[in-house]
Amino acid sequence: MFQLKWLWKYMGEKRWMFVVGLVLAAITSSILIINPMLSQKLIDEVITPQNTAMLIPILAIMMGVQLLRLSLRYLMVVCLETSSQTMMQKMRKHMFNVIQNEDNGFFTRIRTGDLMTRMTNDLDMLRHAMAFIAHNSVDSIVTFVAALTYLCTVNWQLTLSLLAITPFIIVVTRLFSKIISPRYVRLRRKLSDLNTVAQENIEGNRVVKAFAREEFEKEKFEEKNKDYRDYNYGTSVVGVKFSPILDLLSQSMTVITILVGGVLMINGQLSAGELMAFSSLTWALANPLRNLSTIINDLQRFFASCDMIIEIFYAQPSIVDRQNAIEKKERLKGKIEFQDVSLKLGNTEVLKHLNFTVEPGQTLGIMGSTGSGKTTLINMLARFYEATEGRVLVDDVDVCQYKLNDLRSSIGMAMQDVFLFSDTVDGNIAYGNPDLPFDSVVQYAKAADADSFIRRLEDGYDTIIGERGVGLSGGQRQRIALARALAVEPPILILDDTTSAVDMETEQYIQGQLKDLDFSCTKVIVSQKVSSVRDADQIIILDEGEIIEHGTHQELIEKKGYYYKIWALQNSVDIEQPDVGGDQHGAQ
Amino acid sequence: MARNKFDVDEQLESPFNFQNLKKCMVYVSRYKTKMILALALSALGSIIGLTGPMIVQQATDVAIPNKDMQLLFQLGALLTGTILVNVGFTAIRSLIMAKVSQNIIHDIRKDLFDHLQVLPFSYYDNRPHGKILVRVISYVNSVSDVMSNGILNFIVEIINIIFIIVFMFQVSVPLASITVAGLPVVIAFILFIKPKQRRAWQQVSNKNSNLNAFAQESIEGARVTEAFTRQKVNYGIMDRLSEASKKSWLKAAYISNTVWYTTETVSQIVFSLVYIAGAYWLNPMATFGVLLAMGTYASRFWQPIVNLANIYNQFVNAIAYLERIFETMNEPAVIEDAPDAYELPAIKGEVEFKNVSFGYEPGQRILKNVSFKAKPGESIAIVGPTGAGKTTIVNLISRFYNIEEGQVLIDGNDIMKVTLHSLRSQMGIMLQDSFIFSGTIADNLRYGKLDATQEEMVHAAKMLHSHEFIMEMNRQYETEVKERGGGLSQGQKQLIAFTRTLLSDPKILVLDEATSSIDTATEKLVQDGINVLLKGRTSFIIAHRLSTIKSCDRIMYIDDGRIMESGTHDELMAKKGYYYDLYMAQYDETLREAGA
Repeated sequence: MFQLKWLWKYMGEKRWMFVVGLVLAAITSSILIINPMLSQKLIDEVITPQNTAMLIPILAIMMGVQLLRLSLRYLMVVCLETSSQTMMQKMRKHMFNVIQNEDNGFFTRIRTGDLMTRMTNDLDMLRHAMAFIAHNSVDSIVTFVAALTYLCTVNWQLTLSLLAITPFIIVVTRLFSKIISPRYVRLRRKLSDLNTVAQENIEGNRVVKAFAREEFEKEKFEEKNKDYRDYNYGTSVVGVKFSPILDLLSQSMTVITILVGGVLMINGQLSAGELMAFSSLTWALANPLRNLSTIINDLQRFFASCDMIIEIFYAQPSIVDRQNAIEKKERLKGKIEFQDVSLKLGNTEVLKHLNFTVEPGQTLGIMGSTGSGKTTLINMLARFYEATEGRVLVDDVDVCQYKLNDLRSSIGMAMQDVFLFSDTVDGNIAYGNPDLPFDSVVQYAKAADADSFIRRLEDGYDTIIGERGVGLSGGQRQRIALARALAVEPPILILDDTTSAVDMETEQYIQGQLKDLDFSCTKVIVSQKVSSVRDADQIIILDEGEIIEHGTHQELIEKKGYYYKIWALQNSVDIEQPDVGGDQHGAQ
Repeated sequence: MARNKFDVDEQLESPFNFQNLKKCMVYVSRYKTKMILALALSALGSIIGLTGPMIVQQATDVAIPNKDMQLLFQLGALLTGTILVNVGFTAIRSLIMAKVSQNIIHDIRKDLFDHLQVLPFSYYDNRPHGKILVRVISYVNSVSDVMSNGILNFIVEIINIIFIIVFMFQVSVPLASITVAGLPVVIAFILFIKPKQRRAWQQVSNKNSNLNAFAQESIEGARVTEAFTRQKVNYGIMDRLSEASKKSWLKAAYISNTVWYTTETVSQIVFSLVYIAGAYWLNPMATFGVLLAMGTYASRFWQPIVNLANIYNQFVNAIAYLERIFETMNEPAVIEDAPDAYELPAIKGEVEFKNVSFGYEPGQRILKNVSFKAKPGESIAIVGPTGAGKTTIVNLISRFYNIEEGQVLIDGNDIMKVTLHSLRSQMGIMLQDSFIFSGTIADNLRYGKLDATQEEMVHAAKMLHSHEFIMEMNRQYETEVKERGGGLSQGQKQLIAFTRTLLSDPKILVLDEATSSIDTATEKLVQDGINVLLKGRTSFIIAHRLSTIKSCDRIMYIDDGRIMESGTHDELMAKKGYYYDLYMAQYDETLREAGA
């Protein structure tokens, strides 16, 4: 039940409208009980005595009451819809903000499909709770209480005997809630599963086709789809075990009315008119009770969804601004220093005792085998991970001391796994700096050697790129990502294997451009290619999280270690002169 | 169609037509028998329910005045009996309808998903994926109730209305006419408001779709957003989209809710008119009984109409979603088996391009009259500047796009004439983007060959040197990888994707930048593995690092959609053409150094 309290707390600025809406619900439900009384009057005063004098006034009153009720009801809808939409919008924005600032752990824990279910299905359930469940409950309670009060004044003995069924109702309702509640939690999880499978399939559609695995995917989805269907049905079956009991109990009120009422009447303790009043208002007692099963179902579903929202709502990213974070006053110079930095992720030591310093404006090259920790290292610079031991310093200040925004906006990153947004090319390049004038966008596109191919696209810089950059070749994507990183004019520029998919000429051009950027910056270049790092002021070689070589190109070549080996491999033709063509030589 | 993005409403190209309605009925009619049974139960239930008031009347009119306790209790027992039967029927109906509604949404969702599997790349490339996802899950969920209980209740209410009309006209034709006369007013109102209402709900679905597209992309790109500290800007966009969604919803809600408002008002007016007419205008004045009966009937006639109006509202709302669902289902597959397609026999490996010209969009020419022939077992490298059309060539071999000009032949079979499955299942394609599914490493490797044994899998992994890093993971082959291979480095992802491709034992192998993120030392090892695996397979290799392709049987230099040069490394080097320049550029500095 704490979910209700929580929702109340975070309802937002339109909470008063919600309250007004519920008050209106109460008023209109009470009016609904008045109406039959007016009909009674119509019969008693007009039809029975055949007296038309009162006809028009009574009809006018009925009309007036009805119009009032309908108008108030409409107003109720307006209030509830507005307040629930406002709540939903507020909640959505809050969740969005949380998600946007979350770290790796969060995204590995909760998958995209699951998050999407929360942003859609669960939020809608919250809305439904405010816009419907709430007034449905109020309607039921008010109708029940109003009828009960009225009937008490008519005859308390009969009313009491009608109430005899309530203990049973309470027991059944409790049991029902208890049994149905875990089912909705599981059902909700199955919906997430379904969403996740569909989402991954859509994302991976190219791989599915490449492997001709459509049938396999269909089966995979069908399994979840069926599972969801069957569990949903199973939940209905549970409901059907209980709702007839509630139905039966509520309808038994009619039986009680005529039996007990009849006996009372025979004994002279109840008049005919009073019995009439009872039988014409039995619905007002029975309907709310019948409605209980709907309310319980809805509520339990709401609880299940609300828990999912609350989990996101209170999720705290582990990496946040420190309380005493320093204010950055001016542009960073770009000095980077790793002081005995180690990083443990889970039980694995990803980086071990790294030590190096890069002076402002220098270039650092990083090489190493697959999975040696290169990407992790640069991620530490932007504080995506915090050092388990040692310190990462930028301009002689621990990166943890900066405000995250200040730190990250000082770093331009072109990441390995290029993620472009479904936006225009222009919008993508100016991603980190939306106010960037168009001229600068072109300037940086040129520096990344992207200008010429962008101009060949259908709408040039206004061409919309498909999600994740589909429709562009790997090399084109990388160049846009590079332009995007340059466009923030960062004091520290990180290129994580950014030119792996571009050809040599392009790479050489880009390297030339990077050498004379019109802003000062320290560059960190991760690459598999010697040609990308050979001109760096220093090169470090990582292996299983350790620096195994460190020096300039010349020094490392002379050292004849890993770097030399790679250099030799990449230039094998000039050093070893192998028999080119191999044994299948001669193919036309 | 222009590519869609998150803040652009999707155009609905086809207006809602009866074709769609028919399609709805296809899903519903599968459960016809069940629904008719439920309908019969509802009808029986209502008839039995009608006896209730009669029994009560007996009790109040006969048993109680006569102080006949015995009759009273008999009537009580009888009433209990009818209630039991009624409740029983309702319960059975709920069960049946729960099954029907769950089945209908399951069926729609299945068909939608299945259809998505045949849609071409361009479908996925031209819109944010969030907009596709929302159709499969949320939209289908939204229509479930309408498609089952909505339809059933609709029929029940119509039957109710017909019965009551018959009764009414038997009591008093003029008064019944007045009661029924309200109906055209309501219908006129509904017709008047319908276009606005439909438009409003379409807007709701559009705005929600935009919102979801943006949310999903933001979740997937959260890392980039954080790196570029763009949270505030994105928050602003979310605010805007969210506000638009709220506005559209409120508008639709305000419009839709006028329907019951109007209906109930008209019903009250009619009720008054019946009394006024009965009392003043009828000559002779209606009797007490007639008036009473007509008053009751008027409300009993209008209650189902109010209910109908509500059901109608749900329908209009659901149609906005159904339109989107059916729009996707009606999306042409584009790349599908020809009507007389045949199974491609076991591939020997000859691949021929005959005068192939191709563009992704009309008028565009990425490939220009490309012709070449690869012998079985031959390895062909494709090199050239980015955007020259290298990936396009390999895309066509696996028929990811239709070939409209020229032919691509495999062992002499035009690939446009063979079944897609027989073609692609014999090919191994390693794409630039190495997409990894969530699941275990083994699951991912087996994607290439579903029934691969552990030995086969480990063997392939060892050949390509992914075995080493897999064994270092905490649960080796059973390690769970996250969505999109989270937790793996880019190079590791490539190695897994590579292994998965080779596990499928393809006759034709396409490697598009398969090793670009793998470090050179590992690549060298991988290369040795590849050389063994390539034996007997025709292969096409795109790579920028020329060291990886030097040993290919043939190298084709592509630029501007044409094959500029073709030959072995030695031949092309001797020719001193494009390839020579490219090669020298790559080794320029090395040479300089070697000479120094």
